[in-house]
Amino acid sequence: MGKVIVVTSGKGGVGKTTSTANLGTALALLGKTVAVVDADVGLRNLDIVMGLESRIVYTSMDVIEKQCELSKALVKDRRVDGLMLLAASQKNNKDDIQPAQMKAICDKLRATHDFVLVDSPAGIERGFSNASAGADEAIVVTTPDVSAIRDADRIIGLLQNERIEPINLILNRFSPELVGNGSMMDQADVLDILNIDLIGIVPEDSGVITSTNRGIPLVYEDTSPGSQAYMRIARRLTGQRIPIPDLEHKGLLTNIVNWFTRKR
Amino acid sequence: MANSIVALRAYRDGLHLIIRPHLSITEVEAAIQQEMSRMNRPLIGASVQIDLKCPTLKEEEIAYLRSKLQETYNLTVRSIESFDEQPAPPIAAAPTTHTISQIADVPDSRDNEPARIVPYTIRSGQTEDFPQGSLIIYGDVNSGGEVRAGGDIVVLGALRGNAHAGMNGRLSAVVIAMELIPVQLQIGSFVNRRPIGQKPRGYPEIARVGVEDVIIVEKFVKF
Repeated sequence: MGKVIVVTSGKGGVGKTTSTANLGTALALLGKTVAVVDADVGLRNLDIVMGLESRIVYTSMDVIEKQCELSKALVKDRRVDGLMLLAASQKNNKDDIQPAQMKAICDKLRATHDFVLVDSPAGIERGFSNASAGADEAIVVTTPDVSAIRDADRIIGLLQNERIEPINLILNRFSPELVGNGSMMDQADVLDILNIDLIGIVPEDSGVITSTNRGIPLVYEDTSPGSQAYMRIARRLTGQRIPIPDLEHKGLLTNIVNWFTRKR
Repeated sequence: MANSIVALRAYRDGLHLIIRPHLSITEVEAAIQQEMSRMNRPLIGASVQIDLKCPTLKEEEIAYLRSKLQETYNLTVRSIESFDEQPAPPIAAAPTTHTISQIADVPDSRDNEPARIVPYTIRSGQTEDFPQGSLIIYGDVNSGGEVRAGGDIVVLGALRGNAHAGMNGRLSAVVIAMELIPVQLQIGSFVNRRPIGQKPRGYPEIARVGVEDVIIVEKFVKF
């Protein structure tokens, strides 16, 4: 029996879909069987980010309406073994699906996959309740700015009400330079407010834009800092203990001072 | 349901019956009836000041209301004041729901006041209300979250959201937090807000209503 993990954030544009695509691919690269589910009915995007939009014939709506079997609606990613996508319908809207129907799909996928990652839409309405209906665990994605953090805080409250745990945090688009000159919140500030476990920090990486446009998740190339960060998070999801590297940018002087004052 | 025409409010100088713009005198009567029905116990022999926030009410209508209040609800009208538009209420800014029943239930001092312990963090969008007494929070109150208490509010973490102590009008109520950086702080009907860009100071602080009727914040050493 696999785990169902909802990837959510409250605020839009913080990297839910990018994180779902990259973590799904990374887990498959690590040899796990993975199903990624787009729960953003009406505004689907996960298929584009994964480069599978041309191969979608059936969607989760067709499965719910019994137009086809679940196995037939799953699109296999041919670049890696064990990765499947269940797309959302683009012509329906979020109210056309009930949380119980979404939960039934997740429960079926759980039986045949190690990981089921559900890409939640932004917001706290029906789309969110659908996405989290079948989830055992949650990953909350936030960027280090006050509005994203307040929305993440709201979402964490709702997830806790649903008794979904653990809730892990991905701090996305983190810029060590901006933290270094004091214009961005650092990781300690964010964790102090949200008070949940950090599963990884993804640095700001311009490669994300090109990878989205090309439909090739970042993790296929292992050199970029974003790709490495997602690979590390995937390893942590599989239970490996990998320390979170200190991405915070410190000036040369601070580094020299730290070197002299470090504990030996 | 909130009553938009008539509101009974308790201020420091006593009860005020606020009458807002309306269509007819019968509408005002019905609204008074509705407002009175919210009280848990009758207000025998109380005196009220009528705050007229509507220019339309005629002299004889006012006289009629005065006798009606006396006969039906046993309320004495001690004065009538007219306000043109959006006047400041007798004490500072707009109070929230100060109803008589709450005032009557809550003692004026901290003695024998119950307290509720909240053993978790209040996150954005969550609220914790305790009109009967004080609130003690074993966590933070985050931005977007709200805590309201009839008595004191003690946050054993960071207060980053909104807090309203003394919500029934007890002005001796205080707010204590390990990190006191609220968006808005209210004690009784006094409101204060966070100066822009204020950072945590690194020590616990206490907010209370000072002698000049403003909320003052100082380092919390002991009570």
